[in-house]
Amino acid sequence: MSSHLNVVGQSVRRSDGIGHVTGRTQYSADRSFPGMLHLKMVRSPLHHALIKGIDLSDAERVPGFVRALTAKDVPHNRYTILSLIGVEPEEEFVLAEDRVRFKGEAIVAIVAETEAAAFEAVSKVHLDLEELPAVFDVEEALKPGAPIVTHWGNNTFMYEGHPCRRVRFGDVDKAFEQADYIVEGVYNTSPIEQAPMETTGCIAVPEANGRYIVYTNTQALYFSLDNTSIILQIPGNRLHFIGGTVGGGFGGKVDVIVEPIATLAAILTNRPVRFTYSRSEEMQVSSTRSAWRIYMKDGVMKDGRIVARKVTSYADSGAYSRQTPYALTKHAANAAGPYNIPNVSIDAYCVYTNRQPSSAMRGFGITMASFALEVQMDKIAERVGVDPWTIRFINAYRNGDMKPHRKLAEDATLIETMQAAATLVGHELPDEFKAMTSAPRDASHDGGRE
Amino acid sequence: MASTIVTFELGGREVEVMVKPMTTLQSVLRNQLGFTATKEGCRQGGCGSCTVLVNGEPMMSCLLPVEDVAGQRVTTLESITPAEGLHPLQRAFLDANAFQCGYCTPGMVMISKALLDHDPAPSDDDIRQALTGNICRCTGYRPIVRAVQAAAEAMSDDAGEQAR
Amino acid sequence: MTVKSYFLPRSLPEALRLLQLHGPELLVMAGGTVAMPLINEGISLPEAVMGLRLAGLDRLDRTDGTLRIGATATLTQMLDQDAVPMLREAARNTASWSIRNMGTVGGNLFTPPPGGDVAVALLALDASVTLAGARGERVLPLGDFFTGFMTNELAADELLVEIQVPIRSEPTAYMKFGRKHANTPAVVTVAVRIEWHEDRVADARIALGAVGPYPIRARQAERLLVGTGLDADAIAAAAVAATQGCEPFTDGIATDWYRRKMVSLFVGRALEQLAPGAGAEGR
Repeated sequence: MSSHLNVVGQSVRRSDGIGHVTGRTQYSADRSFPGMLHLKMVRSPLHHALIKGIDLSDAERVPGFVRALTAKDVPHNRYTILSLIGVEPEEEFVLAEDRVRFKGEAIVAIVAETEAAAFEAVSKVHLDLEELPAVFDVEEALKPGAPIVTHWGNNTFMYEGHPCRRVRFGDVDKAFEQADYIVEGVYNTSPIEQAPMETTGCIAVPEANGRYIVYTNTQALYFSLDNTSIILQIPGNRLHFIGGTVGGGFGGKVDVIVEPIATLAAILTNRPVRFTYSRSEEMQVSSTRSAWRIYMKDGVMKDGRIVARKVTSYADSGAYSRQTPYALTKHAANAAGPYNIPNVSIDAYCVYTNRQPSSAMRGFGITMASFALEVQMDKIAERVGVDPWTIRFINAYRNGDMKPHRKLAEDATLIETMQAAATLVGHELPDEFKAMTSAPRDASHDGGRE
Repeated sequence: MASTIVTFELGGREVEVMVKPMTTLQSVLRNQLGFTATKEGCRQGGCGSCTVLVNGEPMMSCLLPVEDVAGQRVTTLESITPAEGLHPLQRAFLDANAFQCGYCTPGMVMISKALLDHDPAPSDDDIRQALTGNICRCTGYRPIVRAVQAAAEAMSDDAGEQAR
Repeated sequence: MTVKSYFLPRSLPEALRLLQLHGPELLVMAGGTVAMPLINEGISLPEAVMGLRLAGLDRLDRTDGTLRIGATATLTQMLDQDAVPMLREAARNTASWSIRNMGTVGGNLFTPPPGGDVAVALLALDASVTLAGARGERVLPLGDFFTGFMTNELAADELLVEIQVPIRSEPTAYMKFGRKHANTPAVVTVAVRIEWHEDRVADARIALGAVGPYPIRARQAERLLVGTGLDADAIAAAAVAATQGCEPFTDGIATDWYRRKMVSLFVGRALEQLAPGAGAEGR
């Protein structure tokens, strides 16, 4: 390694390492403040229901009860996290209004002197709910007559007026007619909880100067600050968010869930308020990686070239969309894979159901595309009668190829990565694959297709 | 029932706390004594981030009413951190980058301490067995196992030198 | 978390007195590994709790060919004893080191499936339980103790105080199949004990966990084995029969369908371990 590099090739000690091994790193829940109150949520026991009434009278009598917050206490109760980047409509509720759309949805926030009192008061809030039919499957949710989850009359997120994110490249139908083989597959993935070791949480502390300090373990400090500002209708300069120390996130802490309500409680009580998820809430209420169903149809020539790929994908967003619309956009850009396919059609639907909301988790949208399309590649190899390496080398994209979503490939490395992988696993590649590079096609002489 | 006073030994000194009935040792350590190295990952005994030693044996402090440890010896990460420098396990975790977010680290160090106290030269499998109740979501465990091995070697070298 | 009274009796009589005084509303807790998570989450809100950790019920005694296990003996104590190898194996496959230091053998009998694996071993070992109340003690075979999901023969004024396990030399097999190698709830747990008369099976015990509301015996499979030489055909027939009487359930660990499949597979594997010619562990 070059001598002028101080970091590359060196083992660099982490700046937070001493704090971690001594336990002196301060995570948000490691702080406490005099007079700190505890917030716990009353949550929907049903997947889908109308809220007919909320009876707080028994809860209010619990010793240590301070106050309850319902939807009418929240200045701008309906929000959408990604409104900051122009995504609409506002669709999620800080606290449920007339309807709950998933089991575990927050309805009433209880603020109490101790955690024990908060738990007890939560157990004494009586909900009058009228159960509604619920839908838990993406394709069921799109059938006529399905229970409607959203407030706008269908169960899809709308992309510029369309019910799905679309990619159109070449003419797939014509290419299917000309193909020697049609290979089809359907792929399902399950929701996955990010399960950070530290649960989502924050403490909101009123300052004497009218500002609020919020110690939070969010992965997205300014998402949290800006959305809190919108929801509480107070200027951002009255909010001082302190974060940066996150006990694991993996995408599970980019939704803005705890800060707005904890800050509101701090405003209304003028006392520090802590709202930290229990492990059950983290697992059963916080958003997960979404469940997906992906249909793939490929047209393939006898020599292994893929000439057409049609993808129809459904992501289960759950009751609210959070970051899932963005996942579909990424998915649509990547569902053809790192392969040069001249005819591609992709429809990617963000579907609302009565499941726990899904959102970000490590490559969300792309991970599922990769799973589906790489299994599909193996199926194609089997059908054509070549090995899985061959099918990938002959279809691999190169720099200068136009990707279906009209981005020119500039950083293609699939060929080189596969060559390195073959070496590592001791697989001897044919000379023609060893000689391939990701260099633009017109500059290479390795027999790649035009 | 009113609050009661519970006395126990924490890191070599006697502490006395006034607690509501059945307050957990975890809560006493974190909320009353400010010993926040003991973490709070699940409060279900499922993650190991709150592991402490009671009379030298690892236990989940989230499942332990503090009344149950009255008069007993409790050891937390704070207790084993020397005034200067680091415990060999802490040094090994640091050197091996055996953490990323750091939230499991205190529990990992404490269960590893218990292991090395019982068995100064554990096998790879012994280490993995001992650590099964301590979850880490960042590292994939390999650097942690390496750190425990490195600490065992460092401690046996130290012991050898002291014997000479 | 709203606990108003926490009692820590120092003896069995004191514990029984407290139980009588406070009645069925008193939550009895041993190691805390089942009750505390519910209390910590605000799911269980008991007003009065009795902890048995200091009640002196954790002794192990080996007398008259019987291992007497105090109800609050920990799973670590099971791991450290050598009188009954199957109990060591069951403890080794249960939870993690810290939890084994806390969880108790008695408490394991009150742990809902798919937990409660040690009880599966106890059932195969023909264990019995001693229940003590104000009117004295009674002893029940463990098989008669369970009555339903989280229900049992224990009267409101009684405590489980001891578990007795006959010490026998017959070979046993214990297999717990989970989603991970360790510290995992069971997909299915299988505990098998074979009594031989010369080269024929004289009696058999096949106990199953995580496939019913409580640990159950596969009695039809047991009957099929008697008189056989535990040959491949007999094992195959017993493995199929073992699913009779099972009521497997679906949870986050496995589906009922999968659990039923795994019952046959693991009963077969456990019996193969005990078949003639299976090596040192066999006979």
